[in-house]
Amino acid sequence: MKKIYLYSLLLIILSASVSCKKYLDEKPNNAIATEDAIVDAGTARAAIIGAYDRIQSYYAANYPTLGTITADNVIFNGTLSEYLQLDQDAIPTDNVITVATYQGIYRAINSANSVIAYVPAVNDPLLTSAEKTKILGEAYFIRALSYFDLARGWGGVQLQLKPTTDLNGLKGIKRSTLDQTYDQVLADLTQAEQLLPEDATTRNRAQKSTARALRARLHLYRKQWADAEAYATQVIANTKYALVKPYKSFFASPFLTTESVFELTFSANDKNGYWSSWYPSSSGGSFTLKPSDGIVAKLNNPLIGGSRNALIAGTSPSVYGVLYNTVATSTDPSYVIRIAELYLIRAEARAQQGKLTGANSAASDLNIIRDRAGLAPTTATTQADLLQAIEDENSVEFAFEAHRWFDLVRTGRAGVVLGITNPNRYLFPIPLSDIQSDPDVTQNPGY
Amino acid sequence: MKHIYKISALLFLCLTVTQLTWAQTQPTIKSRLSGRILDAANKQPLPGAVIRIKGVTNGVSTDNEGKFTLVTGQALPYTIVVSYTGYLTQEVVATGSPIDVLLKENISQLNDVVITGYSTQERKYIAGSITSVSGDVIKDQPAAGFNQLLQGKATGVQVLTNSGVPGGGITFRVRGNNSINASVDPLYIVDGVFLSNNDPVTSFGNQSGSNPIADLNVNDIESIQVLKDANATAIYGSLGANGVIIVTTKRGKRNTKGKINFNTYQGWSSAIKKFEVTDGPQTALLANEAKINTAAENNTAPTGLIADPASQPTYDRTDDLFKVARSQSYDLSTQGGTENSDYYVALGYLNQESIIKPSNYKRYTGRLNYDNNITSKLKVGTSINISRSDRNLSGSDNNPQGVINSALFVRSYLPVYNADGTYARYGSFDNHLALINNLDNTSIGWRTIGNLFGEYSFTPNLKLRSSWSIDGETENYNSYANTLISAGIATNGSATSSITQNYVYTNEQVLTYIKSFGRDNRHNINALIGNTLNTVTNNSTGSSGTGFATNSLTSVSSAATRSGTSTQQTSKLVSFFGKASYAYDDKYIIDGSIRADASSKFGKNKQWGYFPSGGIAWRAGQEDFIKKLNFFDELKFRGSIGLSGNQNGIGSYAALGLWSSGANYLENAGTAPSQLANPDLTWETTRQIDIGTEFTILKRRLTINFDYYNKYTYDLLLNVPVPYRSGFASYLQNYGAVRNKGFEAAIHSLNINTTSFKWTTDFNISFNTNKIEKLASDIAQGASGRNISLLRQGYPVNSFWLYKQLSVDPQTGNAIYDDVNKDGKITSADRQIVGNALPKFTGGFTNNLNYKNFDLNFFFYFQQGNKIMNMNDFFMIHGGTQANIGFVPRQLDRWTTPGQVTDIPRMTTYSGNPDQNGGSANNYGGNVASLSSRYLQDGSFIRLKTLTFGYTLPSALTKSIDVSRARIYLQATNLLTFTHYDGLDPEVSSQSANQNTAGYDWATVPQPRTIQVGVNVTL
Repeated sequence: MKKIYLYSLLLIILSASVSCKKYLDEKPNNAIATEDAIVDAGTARAAIIGAYDRIQSYYAANYPTLGTITADNVIFNGTLSEYLQLDQDAIPTDNVITVATYQGIYRAINSANSVIAYVPAVNDPLLTSAEKTKILGEAYFIRALSYFDLARGWGGVQLQLKPTTDLNGLKGIKRSTLDQTYDQVLADLTQAEQLLPEDATTRNRAQKSTARALRARLHLYRKQWADAEAYATQVIANTKYALVKPYKSFFASPFLTTESVFELTFSANDKNGYWSSWYPSSSGGSFTLKPSDGIVAKLNNPLIGGSRNALIAGTSPSVYGVLYNTVATSTDPSYVIRIAELYLIRAEARAQQGKLTGANSAASDLNIIRDRAGLAPTTATTQADLLQAIEDENSVEFAFEAHRWFDLVRTGRAGVVLGITNPNRYLFPIPLSDIQSDPDVTQNPGY
Repeated sequence: MKHIYKISALLFLCLTVTQLTWAQTQPTIKSRLSGRILDAANKQPLPGAVIRIKGVTNGVSTDNEGKFTLVTGQALPYTIVVSYTGYLTQEVVATGSPIDVLLKENISQLNDVVITGYSTQERKYIAGSITSVSGDVIKDQPAAGFNQLLQGKATGVQVLTNSGVPGGGITFRVRGNNSINASVDPLYIVDGVFLSNNDPVTSFGNQSGSNPIADLNVNDIESIQVLKDANATAIYGSLGANGVIIVTTKRGKRNTKGKINFNTYQGWSSAIKKFEVTDGPQTALLANEAKINTAAENNTAPTGLIADPASQPTYDRTDDLFKVARSQSYDLSTQGGTENSDYYVALGYLNQESIIKPSNYKRYTGRLNYDNNITSKLKVGTSINISRSDRNLSGSDNNPQGVINSALFVRSYLPVYNADGTYARYGSFDNHLALINNLDNTSIGWRTIGNLFGEYSFTPNLKLRSSWSIDGETENYNSYANTLISAGIATNGSATSSITQNYVYTNEQVLTYIKSFGRDNRHNINALIGNTLNTVTNNSTGSSGTGFATNSLTSVSSAATRSGTSTQQTSKLVSFFGKASYAYDDKYIIDGSIRADASSKFGKNKQWGYFPSGGIAWRAGQEDFIKKLNFFDELKFRGSIGLSGNQNGIGSYAALGLWSSGANYLENAGTAPSQLANPDLTWETTRQIDIGTEFTILKRRLTINFDYYNKYTYDLLLNVPVPYRSGFASYLQNYGAVRNKGFEAAIHSLNINTTSFKWTTDFNISFNTNKIEKLASDIAQGASGRNISLLRQGYPVNSFWLYKQLSVDPQTGNAIYDDVNKDGKITSADRQIVGNALPKFTGGFTNNLNYKNFDLNFFFYFQQGNKIMNMNDFFMIHGGTQANIGFVPRQLDRWTTPGQVTDIPRMTTYSGNPDQNGGSANNYGGNVASLSSRYLQDGSFIRLKTLTFGYTLPSALTKSIDVSRARIYLQATNLLTFTHYDGLDPEVSSQSANQNTAGYDWATVPQPRTIQVGVNVTL
């Protein structure tokens, strides 16, 4: 008798182990296997959307913060040390915001790399070749923007051009020089410009003009003045874009005004709570980022700020920035490129080339921006004065966008304007954890 | 999956059914034995003692007068075995009826029956390290979770209550932190049910975490076993590496008349110490001083000074936070049994308020334990616990819109109300009164812990048990931020509603064989084999909405804009195990076990793990040469070695390469790479060696236990940081190792034992040293991105990574830090490990005194050598860098005049040259950014945890009102604390939702002091 039971028990064990393999096969319902990630029209579209989502992530709050609090328009007013570190330009290698941004940008790059690597092989009648080309163009653009944002923050970086499927593929990629990184941006922008479509309305996905606009900025950063001017002109010439008046209408819902060359749209289902960093707690915000006394004075000066005083609200000592202002809905877009920037790029490029005043000059471009703000034309006439006027205009026009810090660094003026004596501080540090985990990376000097 | 359950269910059913028919033949009655079982000392009857004929598994138990009747097919004489909890088991040869048996109280614990993995054994036969705690020791305490009450009661267990929030989270470690990324919590098993230790209350940040074990009513607990070494835990294989806590709840006894217990207490709790901040004039003075100093360094004129600081008003906010909190507990239970069945039915209610408004905690519990011996061979039973926990939550620590932050951090000269009577708010902070009056975050948890089992005895030696368990936990969370608090202002009200469900299903079959044979039954075998199927599912669905018509509409469905989320995870575990122990001549014991586990979480290549263990014990006290010494009443040596595993705490799909969804843009669904595949992901393994001795001397008056252990955990499930350029932050792989070794001692002493006066003393102490032996690279985390907690090879976990302040230069008033790399600059490279949150040792000291009808108990808990990062000081000794935060009085010690010696540097927000050591940028900002050792403090303490004084009414009096026992008591909790720690309370760990960031005090609700009165009545 006893034996029978023992045998039955063994049978249970046996039958259990046979079906074990199947029993233990568990899969998530909100993620797909890497090998099935880009295989048909639906997944290809989802992958490029995911790449946009990645640039959205680092542009929503981190990148504009890096471009502002580090300079003189915005000061630290909250409790979190990472903002204080940025404000004081004493940035440790584990600063939360520089780390998250660096990591976020490479996440965007990995998404773009995956699209570039796998979409060409997708064979699905639902994915027309026109759509395929568009998706690829967008991926090249996203990669270009990502490397550009890395280069101007961290200098020449490691160029990852293939999707990561395992860690072995990472080995041996050293940091490139700043020029090499910018060359890569240029190569990707050239591809993107070729592949991308152009229509009369799209402002929140990449188009030919978007690629050209970024290219104008790239040339400006590389001091290639003629190219910067040429590409800026191409974008300005596109009737799809025009400065809006009054100034404040570009940051009012529903956004996507003609001002916008490229903005990343958020929605009720895809929120951007960046306003909260700018608004005081009495309005429901955390008030971490506060306009400096200096910028408040400039914006309130009718001869400098003009209608751009709409960027601030409140009374001293609680003046706050309202560029990001959808307090009820959290749907502020990230302003990546506005047409105003192209005018100022061209103004600077022209000033550098000696085209100072008159028609089609630095002054004429600058005055377009000043005029929109309700200001009189510039009185500057010399090259030095015009360059200073353009710098000042940039600071006010883009007071709370990711410009001021990068402009002062690229023109070498951060030392004079911000009092940063140590030029090593012009670049952000490579994240500590990368220094520890990556034998191929080297830290920026001085960190 | 289902068909495996089905197959095993069917097989078990058909086995039992065939057996049932086979077992129906009744044996003929040959004898009828009746008698009484009495206490040998006082001759009082022992109700519920179990009497069985030797060699037969089932027996009868005594009634309330200690009487029993045994009817059997065997003829007299035969040997009966009489056992009773807390008494020495006795064998008596019954020659005739009636018979009186006198049982001696078991003073040493060596003969206790210990519940080990899947079996029970007498303590003398145990080769592993197991600590038993009786339910009586922890009852009637003003705390919800039994695990919290094991603090200082068991060796090798370190318990810390993370905050004073009732029902809040605790830190519980058995012999140290074994892991870095996988779970370090032990496995809790209640009546065979594997509990989910997932904290369902996750909505409110680190501090408001709950204790999921608090859903169990402490008063229902009969006993707790803490399984510590590999020999004891290896049978739980992959679930056992962090120790196993086995809880047995109370059950009725057969043949006993029902008795009714009623317990209640009423308690009043208050803060031992309250938050202190500088008053208005002091705050204004300090704020101005920072501006004046900074301006002087910048060669500018100071701006924004507060005019006439001395005449600034003071608004006391922190006092508004505290209140005298009430707690109440009511418990009603009944237990008893008939000839074939027994029952325990209990109801409980606990209500505890927090001493900081507005949190509170309510718990309703119900329990049914029932067993029925359907035939002499088949027994079925069930244990069901249903409980409901209601919590009112409020956010703390790094949430600037939490109640404590909003009161503590706001500068004291700023008015609480605006001129128009509305709530005033400053900087990032909300108004504390607005929060206290309007916070509306409730969480209602339902917990079902149920078990159904059938046990069939083929022969007295061979038994099959099949058990089906569920631990179901449902948390319904609702919050509404109305337009009077900051969180709801912008959105016109904002609501969240979510349901989280954590379920653990377990099915197990165990076949046990117990046999004694040979001359004088010298050979004892206790063996078992079995299997379990374990499924864990976690689901959650949430919705949120913003934009409400009025504050009286609070449901998500009333919102203008709504959105939803859902997640779902399932993981499975298949296990087979076997265990055998052999004892020879009551002296030599050898045992071994093995378990094979396969987990759905792991890579296809390495799903299976094998966890063997072995142990030996030598009861030297039984040897003649020891007996001749006439010194030891008992003496036992034991040693064990084995492996156990860990897979908890990692995601269900951690081995798969995945692209996650939800990466949406422009209302289109997007996907993006989220996880790298690791097909080789497998078990984290702990190898543990334990050597111990237990002995009893001085006529069993003194029992002493020593244990030494050395645990080495390797193949850690580690999130190894990978270069960010991969597009990923980390890669979960088996890498790294941690060692915990330590020493434990427990002493139980019966100091005085006369009929009218009894005094016992218990002392225990546990030392543990932890060290990370292998790690890919440093991992820094904690304090909201400030990365104060560091994991570094060669150092223990929970190390603090800071700049070490050497002094404040008496001439300049600037802080001077330890320049570790001697490069003359202060940079990230000069951060170092300056202390640790782990105590060197912890322990408890308990005394129980009984004099006639009076009883007195006092219990001290102590821990030594741990550091606490005082984040309140970190924020509030800021030198002016925090424009919206006030100061604590310690800031007044700042340097002001040349020659002054202090540890608080000069006030300034100057930021030039942040690399300079002794430069003023680093006083509070700069590269150091206040990450300074000056906020790190010694957290050692010794505390009179409980003091109880009770009086049992004379039985003559109680009998007259039909009450068999009535006791009243007065109890004080946390009455005295001795510590050097400056903060409110040294028993604190506010960031402990992450096991690697322990030891922070950050706007935390402190442990209260509680005075309670209570009554225990038995009918």
